[in-house]
Amino acid sequence: MLETMFSSLTAMLTSPYMMGLMLLAVAIGLVVGVTPGIGGRLSIALAIPFVFGMEMIPGAVFLLTMHAVNGTSGQISSIMFGVPGDGDDAATTIDGYPMAKKGEAGRALGASVTASGVGGIIGAIVFAVMIPVLEPVVMAFSPAEFFLLALLGITFIAFLAGREQIFKGLIVGLFGMMLATVGMDPYTGTPRFAGDFLFLWDGLSLITTVLALFAIPEMIALAVKGGAISTVSAETAKYSYRQLFEGVMEVPRHWWLAIRTSIIGAVVGMIPGLGSSAAAWFCYGHAVQTSKTPERFGKGAVEGVIAPETGSNAREGGALLPTLFFGIPASSGMAVLMGAFLILGIQPGPTMLTERLDLVWTLIWALVVGNLIAVTFLLFIMRWVALLTFVNGAMLVPFIVVMAVVGSYVSEGQWQNLIVLVVLSAIGYGLLRFNWPRAPFVIGIVLGKIAEESLHKALELWGLRFFTRPLSLILIGLIVLTIAYAVYRNVRPPSTRAQETVAP
Amino acid sequence: MSRMSRLLTLAGAFAAVAISSAAASAQTGADYFKGKTITYIVATSPGGGYDTYGRLVAEYMQRYLPGATVVVKNMPGAGHLVGTNAIYSAKPDGLTIGTFNTGLIYNQLIRHSGVRFDLEKMSWVGKAATEGRVMAIAQQSPIKTYQDLVAQKQPVNFAAAGIGSAAYVETVMLTAALKLPIKILTGYNGNDDMLAMRRGEIIGTISARSTWDPFVRNGYARYIAQIGGEQKDVPQLAAMVDDPGAKALIALIQTQCDVARLTAGPPDIPPDRLAALRTAFRMAMEDKELLAKAEKIGLPIEPAYGDTVLQMIKEALRQSPETVALLADSLKKK
Repeated sequence: MLETMFSSLTAMLTSPYMMGLMLLAVAIGLVVGVTPGIGGRLSIALAIPFVFGMEMIPGAVFLLTMHAVNGTSGQISSIMFGVPGDGDDAATTIDGYPMAKKGEAGRALGASVTASGVGGIIGAIVFAVMIPVLEPVVMAFSPAEFFLLALLGITFIAFLAGREQIFKGLIVGLFGMMLATVGMDPYTGTPRFAGDFLFLWDGLSLITTVLALFAIPEMIALAVKGGAISTVSAETAKYSYRQLFEGVMEVPRHWWLAIRTSIIGAVVGMIPGLGSSAAAWFCYGHAVQTSKTPERFGKGAVEGVIAPETGSNAREGGALLPTLFFGIPASSGMAVLMGAFLILGIQPGPTMLTERLDLVWTLIWALVVGNLIAVTFLLFIMRWVALLTFVNGAMLVPFIVVMAVVGSYVSEGQWQNLIVLVVLSAIGYGLLRFNWPRAPFVIGIVLGKIAEESLHKALELWGLRFFTRPLSLILIGLIVLTIAYAVYRNVRPPSTRAQETVAP
Repeated sequence: MSRMSRLLTLAGAFAAVAISSAAASAQTGADYFKGKTITYIVATSPGGGYDTYGRLVAEYMQRYLPGATVVVKNMPGAGHLVGTNAIYSAKPDGLTIGTFNTGLIYNQLIRHSGVRFDLEKMSWVGKAATEGRVMAIAQQSPIKTYQDLVAQKQPVNFAAAGIGSAAYVETVMLTAALKLPIKILTGYNGNDDMLAMRRGEIIGTISARSTWDPFVRNGYARYIAQIGGEQKDVPQLAAMVDDPGAKALIALIQTQCDVARLTAGPPDIPPDRLAALRTAFRMAMEDKELLAKAEKIGLPIEPAYGDTVLQMIKEALRQSPETVALLADSLKKK
């Protein structure tokens, strides 16, 4: 096993052809990642004709690398302009964009790019380590656990909103959950709040809601306020490579958090059925919940950037596990990747481990090397990219609004989403203007749907007895503890609170 | 002579005229497409069977429409309804065609509210495959044959995708008509059902064979019955039931199996252009490179063209009121 492990690495690194392919894959993956609305799925589907006829291993490495670095560049626009590329980038926006407003775009980008790379690499390690226990871990999670996990995620709202805003946070979170019910009822098959509008039958477009809640309101605010995104000038912010480097160093400073969120991301990725956006939000929630100073979140806490980025990149390593060894893709992106693997002559299934161990190791290394290339490249160009946050808003706003509108349309190809974009943007701006939290909304809409669907399934399968499954009991325990802790923090005597806010 | 058979004769006569003039008009039609862009709508998101077939068909049709570019556009939503409505309402200039689930025949039969098309009026280019349905049972289950399933005392959990999906409709109809001891659990989209089967939550499913072949090859499940399809290794369900009503239903499902992975355009595409599209489709289906690719990915190619497909669709749409009632009933939850 060890021999295969290293021989695959050297074979990859010493072949100029393979390295050239990986560079190309990284470049394409990064470009697709920065374009909102075009997901990794589409890029693989489009690349399939080109890999047909390629050798099996180079073809697979090319596609996997392209897919894996997709999320690494997605956060650039979330941080700089508050325009998330998709649902998981939205988690990065919450703290990334406030950092840019404070003139710390360089620091945020340095941290997020490094975190993505670290997440991707830890994800690959988790992949390798988890192979022997894949079966029991994946099998332990059924709809009952999905429901409770979603519920646990929703309880994080209590922390996200900060102390004074807990009720506002709950209201916004419930509003998100309410909107999650738009669309086809999973249990009765009748359209809810959708009538004959077919574009609503699959629920509100996540990318549209996220753009409407974050990107557009920020741009309106910027236009109203005037000036640049960064409220301090480049000179005062001492903007330079140094700031970028400080950002990079934030990741080793928070190494324990980065490792935890990477593992959470990889495990969530391993479990098909939880949806791809859930990983980033679980990790964000985890960072807030375990922080000693949760009130800094949402106002530009660097942990709020590190956690979702490590999580969403680590997810890819995790998601590859069931795809390769069960032949069951864990996400829609992986489903496309698996289709491409079939074209290349790779037959995913349990025999991969016995017959194609060289390929398995090559793919693990591709995740590691691909992430390293992406991070190096991005850190190199980020210096100039981040300067945009110091540019006058009047020049930026039109471009970014166009980007958001295009993203909303392209993601599903339906013009009706533009109406939804306008309506929800008005709500989003209202929340921003009157200083209400917006993150709980996305949590509500992402996890509300998972919660509803899995609750139905769990009830149909086991009735109310599903609460008594062993893993369910553990999760219920966690939920109770989370709520108890949230209540405790709220009722604590004000004196101890004051001390805490003095030293952030 | 009944009205229907008179109509059929008329359709036959048209078909004969169309075929004889097809060769000549296909040439003038093909000239029209020079330098034009054809949009090929796939009614699902990227990835998955419809997308893979669609991209393959589009790529090779382009090869046989000299000077034309065929672009694939994904229009997912509402269980293929969004994409199909878009194809149907497109300008009938031959520059918009696409693919969607044959199961929409069910939706049209019961006049589902989202249906804004009439499959019978569409311009049928062809179909690429025959997609047999199978009853798959988890490996760990003691149910080894169809008879074992019928003999079960307790209801067995079967997975189905969302309510209203073709797979769901077929499962509900078969369960009712064959009086099978099956409890249907819905909402298993994508590959959720396979994982649920590995976990033991569900025991079986009725689904397209090509989707399940890799899972069965990996030893996680077995087939106990099949409807339609070319393979001979699984007993046909129709041979194992006697009830005429049930047989009629199985026959309806079989027509769905026969017209899989179709390509169609809006009604009233000018005949010469439609003929050119059909010719290109036929040449694509006979292309050695396409066949080699399809075999490698495990996509069965079992083509039929133009009016043959139209006849199959018409036949499938002609169902007795009892069947339609059963269908409508199956779409209402409990």
